[in-house]
Amino acid sequence: MAKLTINGKFIEVKDGTLILEAAKQAGIEIPTFCYQADLSRIGACRICLVEIAGQRKLMTSCTTPVMEGMEVNSESAAVQESRKGVIEFFLSNHSLDCPVCDKAGECELQDMVYKHGPRKGSFKEKKIRFHEKDYPLSPVIIKNSNRCVKCTRCIRVCRDTVGVGVLGSMGRGAHQEETSFLRTYLDCDHCGNCIEVCPVGCFMRRPYRYKSRPWDLKSADTICPYCATGCTSKIQERDGEVVRSISKMGKGVNNELLCARGRFGFDFISNEDRLTTPLMRKDGELVPVSWDEALESLAVNLGAFAPERIGGIASARLTNEDLFLFQDLMRSAFKTNNIDSSARWNRDSVSAFIKATGINEGGVSLRGALEGVDAIFIVGTQISEENPVTDYLLRRSFDSRWVFTMIASARAMKLDSCAQLTMRHDPATENALLTAIAKVIFDDAGEKAAGLDCAELFKDLSLKDLSDESGVDQSDIGAAARKLFGSESATFFAGTEFLRFPDGLRGFSLLKELLTALGKKITVVPVLDRCNQRGAWDMGVHPAFGPGYEPVENPGLGNAGMLEAADARQLDALYIAGVDILNNYPDFETAEKALSKLQYLVVNELFLTGTAAMADLVLPVASFAEKAGTMTNQEGRVQSMSPLMKPPGEARTAHDIFSALLKAHDFEFNVAKPKGTFEKIQANVKSYADVELLNERSDKSLTGESGNTVSSSILEKEADEEDQTPAYTAEDLPLTLITGNHLFYSGMLSSRSATLGSLLKEAIVEINDTDAKKYDLKSGDHVTVTGRYHEGRYAVRVKNGSRKGVAFIPENFKTGPVNRFFRKGEWSQKVRLKKVDA
Amino acid sequence: MLTEEAKKAIKEVMKRYKTKRAAVMPALTIAQDDVREVTAEDMLEIAEMLEIQPVIVNEVAKFYTMYNVQRKVGKYHIEVCHNISCNLLQAERIIAHIENRLNIKVGGTTTDGKFTLSTAECLGSCGTAPMMQINDTYYEDLTETKVNDILATLKSRD
Amino acid sequence: MKPILLKNQFNPEAYKVESYVAGGGYESLKKAFTMKPDDIIQLVKDSGLRGRGGAGFPTGLKWSFIPKDPTMQKYLACNADEGEPGTFKDRGIINNDPHLLIEGMTIASFAFGASVSYIYIRGEFVFGARRLEAAIAEAYEKGFLGENIMGSGFSHDMYVHCGAGAYICGEETALIDSLEGRRGTPRIKPPFPAIEGLNSKPTVINNVETLSTVPSIIKNGAKWFAGIGPEKCPGPKIYGVSGHVQKPGLYELPMGTPIREIIFNHAGGIKGGTFKAAIPGGITAPMLVEKDLDTRMDFDSLAAKQSMLGSGGVIVMNNSTCMVKVALITNRFFSHESCGKCTPCREGTTWITQILKRMEDGEGRPGDTAEIERLCGMIFGRTFCPLGDGATMAIRGNLAHFRDEFIYHEEHGRCKV
Ligand SMILES: Cc1cc2nc3c(=O)[nH]c(=O)nc-3n(C[C@H](O)[C@H](O)[C@H](O)COP(=O)(O)O)c2cc1C
Ligand code: SF4
Ligand code: FES
Repeated sequence: MAKLTINGKFIEVKDGTLILEAAKQAGIEIPTFCYQADLSRIGACRICLVEIAGQRKLMTSCTTPVMEGMEVNSESAAVQESRKGVIEFFLSNHSLDCPVCDKAGECELQDMVYKHGPRKGSFKEKKIRFHEKDYPLSPVIIKNSNRCVKCTRCIRVCRDTVGVGVLGSMGRGAHQEETSFLRTYLDCDHCGNCIEVCPVGCFMRRPYRYKSRPWDLKSADTICPYCATGCTSKIQERDGEVVRSISKMGKGVNNELLCARGRFGFDFISNEDRLTTPLMRKDGELVPVSWDEALESLAVNLGAFAPERIGGIASARLTNEDLFLFQDLMRSAFKTNNIDSSARWNRDSVSAFIKATGINEGGVSLRGALEGVDAIFIVGTQISEENPVTDYLLRRSFDSRWVFTMIASARAMKLDSCAQLTMRHDPATENALLTAIAKVIFDDAGEKAAGLDCAELFKDLSLKDLSDESGVDQSDIGAAARKLFGSESATFFAGTEFLRFPDGLRGFSLLKELLTALGKKITVVPVLDRCNQRGAWDMGVHPAFGPGYEPVENPGLGNAGMLEAADARQLDALYIAGVDILNNYPDFETAEKALSKLQYLVVNELFLTGTAAMADLVLPVASFAEKAGTMTNQEGRVQSMSPLMKPPGEARTAHDIFSALLKAHDFEFNVAKPKGTFEKIQANVKSYADVELLNERSDKSLTGESGNTVSSSILEKEADEEDQTPAYTAEDLPLTLITGNHLFYSGMLSSRSATLGSLLKEAIVEINDTDAKKYDLKSGDHVTVTGRYHEGRYAVRVKNGSRKGVAFIPENFKTGPVNRFFRKGEWSQKVRLKKVDA
Repeated sequence: MLTEEAKKAIKEVMKRYKTKRAAVMPALTIAQDDVREVTAEDMLEIAEMLEIQPVIVNEVAKFYTMYNVQRKVGKYHIEVCHNISCNLLQAERIIAHIENRLNIKVGGTTTDGKFTLSTAECLGSCGTAPMMQINDTYYEDLTETKVNDILATLKSRD
Repeated sequence: MKPILLKNQFNPEAYKVESYVAGGGYESLKKAFTMKPDDIIQLVKDSGLRGRGGAGFPTGLKWSFIPKDPTMQKYLACNADEGEPGTFKDRGIINNDPHLLIEGMTIASFAFGASVSYIYIRGEFVFGARRLEAAIAEAYEKGFLGENIMGSGFSHDMYVHCGAGAYICGEETALIDSLEGRRGTPRIKPPFPAIEGLNSKPTVINNVETLSTVPSIIKNGAKWFAGIGPEKCPGPKIYGVSGHVQKPGLYELPMGTPIREIIFNHAGGIKGGTFKAAIPGGITAPMLVEKDLDTRMDFDSLAAKQSMLGSGGVIVMNNSTCMVKVALITNRFFSHESCGKCTPCREGTTWITQILKRMEDGEGRPGDTAEIERLCGMIFGRTFCPLGDGATMAIRGNLAHFRDEFIYHEEHGRCKV
């Protein structure tokens, strides 16, 4: 600790604190421009200069750490004069076109002039102009360099945090312009973080252009509806249209960061295809009906079936309150345990995943998991595309602290550049790879491991076989093993690949168990791709457990089971809340057949999706922007959101619908508001009991420790069911097709966002550079992708460094849905590519 | 487009440094050597060779004045120092003289593409002012007659 | 004084290794290998050698900051960026006596344990760069560079890195950025290069002249060196004289030679008129006028006159010189060379240049001079690196003596002279 005075005020702060931060702690604000916590410090703009007793020159408070006994003055005459001078310099070549600038009203330069003067500059020379008209840099970014103050925050966030590094300072001196390669259109994450960090109106949102003044906007704090990183943001509307989503330093896990989806993907809310009235099938047609008629028919119709012939599937994007009521409705009103969340993950995979990652044992803080840890192992997750902001946060933390990082994945990813070791394995071979690593550790540990329970398991394992199976060199396996063995603590990031290919969980659990037994502190951060997937599980939207992971007596069917049962006419009715099964379930044909055999299908939806179009009753619901509630991110952080506006037309919140149905069933039932439901959740789910809902950057809402006490239960490997349709041989279909989220596409909502649609206009298939060469393909070429069950047309994207022999098609393309290639919930298939003319 | 020789030279120069990126300046110099211009393709190819983002090559190329980024200069690039020592000894007269002789203004290129005239900041040859640099060669202690001779020689060359 | 650094200036063969060796070259290196590295550092400290790049920092002390850990990679970077207008001394050594520099660099590297060194030479010095590369190749061939030099067990590699037109790269941290393949903008200090320099490793940056002085110190000893010139900053010094003098050129004289002697004795006096003013150490250094002519040309004596020795490039102006024009030329230079990182330098130098340009073009307005003075106040002491300060020092030094000429320009739209 160091004691010092700032403006005569005595304070004590941690050693190494910057004067600027110390002043903040003392309640003294020092203006800044180039400084931003979490970006590299450059001390360039000189607005934050302060006087330090004994120093000849004024010093930058944004780069100078405190010293014991320091006497700082941030308001002396010299400081004030200097500050005015710097502002005057900023304005000298600034275009001063506030009346037409999107930033006016929330511009840091404006605010600073207002606060610190000078009110009048004396610059009378010719201004440097970089261009006459603003120029677009991407479908979402538009640029005006004449307003730039050269703080380079845009460049630093792009390079050091987002990791694409497509912006730079061109030229020098007063002619320096921060822009892209020769000002050309950007091929980047389109995350718009450059816009967020720009203090002036230099980087601007294109979709928001000239739409509003900030003071005319109404805002609400919300949580991003895409992945489970759980970014908080403020969404803002004007005249009933949501125009902007912004993030702010100091708020949420994400601070000022968002990805393209979070920043631009909200416009599905205002999509004119939104459903506005309940629709009921009459004479084969879906026709508008009143809510009373709809709800009554629902209660009556569903109630008519035997409990085991009813099922419910809810989206992992609903709020905790919605999900809690949904499972309550299914369980207490319709008496069934046939409940699942999302249509993608298999019931048993989910159970195994929860156990292996310790999700049921409490939350784990991302920041905590990175602090002081010796090694990081990212496996089974396409983190850079599925959870972009988690990628940004990791890179940012690596930027300030070096940690040995390993990544194992079939596809190359942006985060690879931060890793010391990358392992490219064949799809679905996580088990072989992780077991191989465990095997090396076990052998190296010798005596220490010999007595362990799991020792038996290693006896007959051959490193060579495992290495061959995974396609990863023994040397890399050895390096990973040695690093883990030599570390005292390690953090694993384990994600959705383990849900797609649950076999990997065997190796994962084995490795984790071994390391734990060897005395290592192991932390697991689950990486999930739907905003409230963890909440859905916490709420017990699962056939085998209820709220708080309490096992249920008679486990029900999961989504695959329900579809199979429907197909076999053993299930008659389904209530689907916000899931487009036809698009999501990894077997389109089966899903369609199953749904068509149902006697009664109810769907809650925003849009008339393929699934909704098959329903007997479609209930229009509110989007995330139109309701209150809480969501639980992948860390287990419970965060709240508030409504920005009313749902369109007669649409209602899912919460209202479920409440009404519960009420119809049980006259005692009396919750009307999500707040009341949350109290119920707190009473039922232990880990939520003392949750404080804070949308500030705080880890308070995370309860338990991370799971470092997992038992040694390892999934039994199911027998491989060889399902070779004889029409094709291995040579015919040389590539392995896998899927996952795309940076700009994640789920049905994203496909309804016009802005996201503009970032990626057609369905793509991604292959690696070697295969591209082999098949004479390059990015932009068009191909037909042929599998055993399906054929589709895609544009090629070449990704250097991915595993060879792997083809990747993202989920959720409206044209070219990938699930048609799959069968029986199996997430990979053999395919071939053939070039076609454009 | 980088020639094969240029690529080889770049690979060679990379050996001098610990990081690939550090070779960006010599790479740009090599790229510019033949055609006296750094093109967009050059920068992209250098970025690929050095495994860095194109924008970094762009940044570096635009920072240093000796790289003619997307600027075609004449076969002979005349850069007359107009800083203090040369100026005291009539550099401006030399510049005006060249302008007249070549019938171009500072910044311009003769119609035959042979000469481009620029001014330069101090070239570290103050003791022999006024002076100019044409491509890689310094011409010092200039007088108008000397300039005439130099231009005549260069004109007679291809 | 017999020339030390310039002794080979007029020997057209000296750049060749044979000729250099014949003149006793690389003997100092040989001698250095008989010494302990720390003793070499001590010797250089004792000699009182101060850096010739401009700041006059004690060279031995700088070397002693390098961590002693032998397993750690360390670098030497020779600053041959020579960009300060009025300066052309390093070029003289590089072009005519490259082995002197190479020998000095190798001794220095041996002293603090650098296994690799770079010569950062400004891009325009194409001839010099080729000379150096050829000389380095010769040195490798003769075993003065490379593996196990002269059987000493010390190995050293040396490379030339060419700049490409950016004065700021003479600033040591900008030089490092440039050597790493970046835009050459200064870095925050601390960490100082001696702790975290090139590739984040300890790095010494020394000027060409500084390093070229080292072999003579090894050869003749610290006492000999300390005995030349003033006690606090001894040694031989190259003065480059340019502008309105009869005999411009390089003169190697004892440090502390009065400027009058340099201009009138060595450089042959004023050309085309009478003496008006002289800039003693590259354009950054505030001017001296008639009454200051007895000032001694060394770091301390010039600092006492509110000026500085800088690079020792003396620019002489006769009475026909328009001082507004001089101000314009200097400021145009600083504005052109400002890296753009910090606001006051980037905007301030550009603004001042715009005003001066107007004044020079006959469109001066009342108050312009005062405005320039105000702007200098807004820059000085507030910039990231010394370039911005330097810009204001140059113009303030000018205004201190010739303010009336500026006012005349404001009022009459033309020169007084
Ligand atoms: C803007 C600026 C430009 C500089 N240019 C040069 C230069 O061209 N050559 C040089 O040797 N030193 C230059 N310096 C000084 C260097 O930063 C550094 O002090 C010097 O190279 C150290 O060497 P020395 O200790 O041998 O003098 C410059 C400094 C600044 C601030
Ligand atoms: S003073 Fe500032 S802008 Fe000028 S060169 Fe130094 S860092 Fe760059
Ligand atoms: S905020 Fe400190 S220098 Fe910019």
